[in-house]
Amino acid sequence: MIRLKIALLFIACATLSVQAQTADEILDNYFENIGGKESLNSLNGMKMKGVGKQQNFEFPIEIVQMKDGRQYFSADIQGKQLKQQVFDGTVLWSTNFMTMKAEKSDAEQTANFKLNTNDFPDSFMDYKEKGYTVELLGKETMDGAETFKIKLVKEPLMVDGKEEDDISFYYFDTENFVPIVVESKITTGPAKGKSSKSTMSDYQEVDGIYFPFSTSQYIDGNLVFTMEMENMELNPEVDDAVFAFPEQMTEEK
Amino acid sequence: MKTLSYLSLLFALVLSVPGQAQQTLESVSGKALFGDMKARHIGPALMSGRINDMEVHPTNSRIIYAGTAGGGVWRSNDAGTTFNPIFDEHCQSIGAVALDPNDPDKTIYVGTGETWTRNSVSVGCGLFKSTDGGSNFNKIGFENSERIANIIVNPKNSNEIYVAVLGALWGDSEERGVFKSTDGGATWSKQLYVDGKTGCADLAMDPSDPNTLYASMWEFRRTGWSFESGGKNSALYKSTDAGKTWNKIHKGFPEGNLGRLAIAVAPSNPKVLYTVIEAEKDERKGIYRSDNAGESWEQLNNDFGITVRPFYFSRLSVDPRDENVVVKAGYSGSISRDGGKTFKNLGRMHSDIHDIVFSIKDSDIMYVGTDGGVYRTWDGGTTMEIVQNLPISQFYHISLDDAKPYNVYGGLQDNGSWYGPSSSTGGVEARDWNSVGYGDGFRVLKHPTKNIIYSEMQGAENVWRYDADNRLVKTIEPLPKDDEVKLRFNWNPPMAVSEHQPDRFYMASQFLHRSEDMGDTWEIISPDLTTNDPTKQNQEDSGGLSMDNSGAENHTTIFTIAESSLDEKVIWVGTDDGNVQVTQDGGKTWSNTTANITGLPKNTWCYHIEASVFDKGTAYAVFDGHTQNDQNPYAYKTTDFGKTWTNIISEGVEGFARNIQEDYVNPDLLFLGTEFGLYITMDGGKNWKKFTNNMPAVAVHFIDLQKTTNDLVMGTHGRGIIIIDDISPLREINGEVLNSNVHFFTSKATPINEKGGFSGSFGNETEFVGSSKSTGVQLKYFLKKRHTFGKMSLDIKDEQGNIVADLAPGKAKGINIVTWNANKKLPKTAKGKTFTFGGFTAPKVPAGMYTAILKKGKDTFEHTFELVYDEANNLSMEDRKIKNDITSQLYDMTQDLAYLIYEMDEIIQSAESNGNTKTAEKLNSLKETLVITTGDNYVGSAEPQLREKMAKLYSKVATSYDKPTASEMENLKVISSRFETAKADFAKIKNKYLKKQPLELKTFDEFLESK
Repeated sequence: MIRLKIALLFIACATLSVQAQTADEILDNYFENIGGKESLNSLNGMKMKGVGKQQNFEFPIEIVQMKDGRQYFSADIQGKQLKQQVFDGTVLWSTNFMTMKAEKSDAEQTANFKLNTNDFPDSFMDYKEKGYTVELLGKETMDGAETFKIKLVKEPLMVDGKEEDDISFYYFDTENFVPIVVESKITTGPAKGKSSKSTMSDYQEVDGIYFPFSTSQYIDGNLVFTMEMENMELNPEVDDAVFAFPEQMTEEK
Repeated sequence: MKTLSYLSLLFALVLSVPGQAQQTLESVSGKALFGDMKARHIGPALMSGRINDMEVHPTNSRIIYAGTAGGGVWRSNDAGTTFNPIFDEHCQSIGAVALDPNDPDKTIYVGTGETWTRNSVSVGCGLFKSTDGGSNFNKIGFENSERIANIIVNPKNSNEIYVAVLGALWGDSEERGVFKSTDGGATWSKQLYVDGKTGCADLAMDPSDPNTLYASMWEFRRTGWSFESGGKNSALYKSTDAGKTWNKIHKGFPEGNLGRLAIAVAPSNPKVLYTVIEAEKDERKGIYRSDNAGESWEQLNNDFGITVRPFYFSRLSVDPRDENVVVKAGYSGSISRDGGKTFKNLGRMHSDIHDIVFSIKDSDIMYVGTDGGVYRTWDGGTTMEIVQNLPISQFYHISLDDAKPYNVYGGLQDNGSWYGPSSSTGGVEARDWNSVGYGDGFRVLKHPTKNIIYSEMQGAENVWRYDADNRLVKTIEPLPKDDEVKLRFNWNPPMAVSEHQPDRFYMASQFLHRSEDMGDTWEIISPDLTTNDPTKQNQEDSGGLSMDNSGAENHTTIFTIAESSLDEKVIWVGTDDGNVQVTQDGGKTWSNTTANITGLPKNTWCYHIEASVFDKGTAYAVFDGHTQNDQNPYAYKTTDFGKTWTNIISEGVEGFARNIQEDYVNPDLLFLGTEFGLYITMDGGKNWKKFTNNMPAVAVHFIDLQKTTNDLVMGTHGRGIIIIDDISPLREINGEVLNSNVHFFTSKATPINEKGGFSGSFGNETEFVGSSKSTGVQLKYFLKKRHTFGKMSLDIKDEQGNIVADLAPGKAKGINIVTWNANKKLPKTAKGKTFTFGGFTAPKVPAGMYTAILKKGKDTFEHTFELVYDEANNLSMEDRKIKNDITSQLYDMTQDLAYLIYEMDEIIQSAESNGNTKTAEKLNSLKETLVITTGDNYVGSAEPQLREKMAKLYSKVATSYDKPTASEMENLKVISSRFETAKADFAKIKNKYLKKQPLELKTFDEFLESK
């Protein structure tokens, strides 16, 4: 169990007197405050269970993310497990809602997804080694709170055959150094060019590491989806089969 | 959870740092207060608005930029099909957009301040640079430039940038001319400057030689009453040493003074230049061409399309692939394919064309910026197609009615008068808007009791009275009664209706005109209330080298009228030359209170007077000095009929102000519209907070507050109608609330929305759709601090103590708004092969008292609120009871069936694993009659079974506004009886099986709870 050290407390207080911070200092504080880089590095996977809320429609969800990039998101709708954004290491696939059968994502989306498989458990971990760049843009009020605005640039994406930068802006609360908002521009699909925002809250500790248990997603400022986690398991035992792309989706009872 | 308690300790300590604990109206910022109160935009976009500058990406033909006159910068990623705004945080009047040709995806420059200098033009606020593709822009200088005409980055050196500053329109300024940076915009040097009245109107670089530049300098000035284009200082210059020295290149130019000049270099042959010249003599105006890089010029054409209104249309654009194809902006836009000798008009589109750009791929494709938005052509300019999602309409004024939903009325720059709904099923679409006037539109007012609309065009040339029910129109503008006395109407003439006498209608010239019969008969009830300064009344001389007497410069006129809602005899009038006059006897006597206003420069335009609803001697007056080159905001309050006035502008208000709106409930709550956005005070003007939630820094020309909804509605000059729904929480903001951990705002009884309806979304892929007001129940609370650590939840409990909904709470510091659709949770449905779509229906809760339970860490906060039935639905209470009972019965049946199928599946599984195939088979065949076990959710769907039939009836009854029909009740009997039989059949098999084989099954409640 990693505890928040008293020293940190003074660091946090001292920031109120607004001394110059670099992006790396902010990130170091962040990692220290949520449990330390070591703990994060030792993670092999996470399994989260909770509810998804879309307008007032509510359904159970389950998310598994593995260090090697494999993942799935599953929603339980009328007792049916509908998997979306499943990655088995090679294939990215989702369940078609009409046929309830698995279908592969297109090659470009899959290639872009693969670029993110080095982001577990956090995009900022070892960002330099990954070739990412990070820049502190200053302070900004987000969600009413004073935050540090940090720009993260990851590997460029391919969008409809053209290369585009993958830029997002993270807002770290100046009081506790955890990110509370992430903003980016939607790069593909019909909402291309519109703004996307995620807010994170309800940080809770799991085996010494803090995670946001509540995440809300907004498009153009409008709330579209909230995930509220009920429990989170670190380093879960997961059967390989759950990620595998079924050539013909097996019948579920 | 030890760590958490350390964390709480940390926060407690942090909070105890002196100065952090107490929040005050002074200390709290708008961003930390307004929270989820968010502006929504309803457009309209169908007539769009004025465009100043178009820009293409040098290598990616999909990317197009539009710099708009008052609506910011918009980017298209799909070759001009749709656009998104990228510059909302800064002033919205745009002069030029430029991309660094060496880094066009990331480095974008935006020069603010429109350069087509009409009377209503907005102002800019400097030069901005983005290095991340437009996500963030930083100001890099030219704070006082007011208008920037061009930005050119050396294609061989990104650090070398040239900026053409047109500069101030309404007064002298030294921040004009051609500027250069050699360090990427960090520092600037002035390369070409003539005098305080002459700015750079156009700048071009030789694409083959970045050291060769052409600059057109323009002497110009506008006042509130005239415009002057041209003078001895207007000239065309050339530099061949990167801006160090400049020489006039006038060989072949007209004699005498020049006006506005454009310059364009043919990209395919940089020796070929075009200029369009405003000259003293009409026959010497027009387009000139040089084939020797400016050594000499030849006049080619002076058609109307080439010479019309040079201050408004000047841009020249040359086909990048053919130096003989040249396009000139103008009333219709003109294209020449013979090197500028002859021109034809561009295809039919909105008139007043300001810029044209060619696609980098294909010269048949052009993008054209007009007074009515962006047009595309695919056939070289013959057929023009409008971009339908640029909601950059420029309102001068708006008003509201009391319909449900209420309508918004208003007039637009060059785009007529309109009204449309504030909210509409599926969003406010183009087709929801109704045209109610031609020309430039200004004020549009609804008759207080009849379905009659008053609208007008510029200078009261026509004032229409439109009987909307019968579609009957007549014009009712006041006409001169005395041949000797000319009526002077402003370009934007004031009108007003009365709350006391519905048929009363006011208009004003230099006099106040009153009609008691909706404009049929007019009476003048004042003397000339203006300064009547004859030196400001020579509009026929306006224009400079090109006469321009459109009426836009009419001056010494009344601009605003306010009849007190408390006393019809109290009428306030404000004039464009600075007078504030009041009568307390219905116009018999007037007193000019202007001299009582201290701190206000003489003759400052009185833009709006707001008569208070709290006291008849109280009023607010807003003054706009920008036409006297004074951009300070001015707003004053009187409580004694104007004997004394107090300044209510405090620090932090940016941009000159045009309008103020008083709240109807809290006299200290005021809303101020300035050139750069909306400001709100909750303490009578001591502290103003800028409102920025989805609210661009756009010029707010008029504000109104809808009385029943408390919606604040703004007419903006560049982003259409913008609404902030229900501002009532702001009435409660005070020191105590600001220091409560959680404060629920008072909510009045809320109707449960029972309205339905249809909305085909045809065309919405590429058409702007305004967002509608939420029809849900909104819970509003204030949080002193942003909730980041620990659990937070928001449940809704009914009077019986049942939790009927659990919502996703807002966690921002400041005001949070959580919307609940007044639905219970979805029923748990039986698991089948496919979905049962009826099962996605959640029933509405009945009317009654409900309690919101907000849990935050260990603390619980409660707020009780009332839901009432929608008054549009007059179902009797008896019938409602039947509807609710039957819905509940079907809801329960659906869940009972789900449980039965759960038990059945468990037993089937158990039987199968025990080799009891007989039981498994029996149950499987029973199950096939209860739920769908084959097929898919689309055209492969199987025959509906009991689950589907039951869910369908449930959904049908639950979603109807009505009580169940006889047919539905009969169907219920069939389904109930079928279910009873199934239950009995299952019970037999189940009991028999469980006797032999004990099996642990969830209870019904456990099953419902399980996920």
